[in-house]
Amino acid sequence: MSYKERSIWVSLAITLYIWFNYFSELYWSVQQHTLTTSSMKSALLTVVIMTIALEILHHIVIAIIDNKNANYDEDERDKQISLIGNQNAYYILSFTAIAAVIHLLFPLMSQGLVDALSLPSEYAIINIIIFGALTAEITKFSTQIFYYRRGF
Amino acid sequence: MEKKIVNNIRRLRFDADEMTQQMLADVVGVSRQTIVAIEKDKYSPSLEVAFKISEYFNVPLDTVFKYR
Repeated sequence: MSYKERSIWVSLAITLYIWFNYFSELYWSVQQHTLTTSSMKSALLTVVIMTIALEILHHIVIAIIDNKNANYDEDERDKQISLIGNQNAYYILSFTAIAAVIHLLFPLMSQGLVDALSLPSEYAIINIIIFGALTAEITKFSTQIFYYRRGF
Repeated sequence: MEKKIVNNIRRLRFDADEMTQQMLADVVGVSRQTIVAIEKDKYSPSLEVAFKISEYFNVPLDTVFKYR
């Protein structure tokens, strides 16, 4: 397994772990009717801090384990695989942007989501965008791993 | 049947004093995994890398790669 592929696996695991925590916290807060604007802000802040900290740690640990390839630059195959991953992520992000616009223009269509979150409408949009961005990120990593495994 | 690009890199490496994949990767400026993928016909390299490989082994390009 190449340095790049190993790095993508770890990034995928970090992304899944952090966002699973975030959305499970959001879900339980909604179930227990304890979701407030400030609790959501603090959950988001935790996500940002954990992402930065774990990504730094991940790069340090991988560089120590595989110090021979720590300064490894992407080659043409890595770049092509990365491009395909970004392309798939772009489709998801575009869909998310459309969903957010639809939510703004036709709030009735997503009234159920707003009611469920029991937060101001703008926080529903934030979660739509976050969910879309997260799905895009997971799609990007998964696509890259798929092509590294299957061959490209 | 669909045609695809195949190669003789493994043979050429063997003939070049059993050169390792890592050595070839260093010469052409790609990762060892990319050489592995090329040898298994799972990845078709750019023209630049293809020419670098053929130049290194000092053989014509169509000795290294074939489209069949």
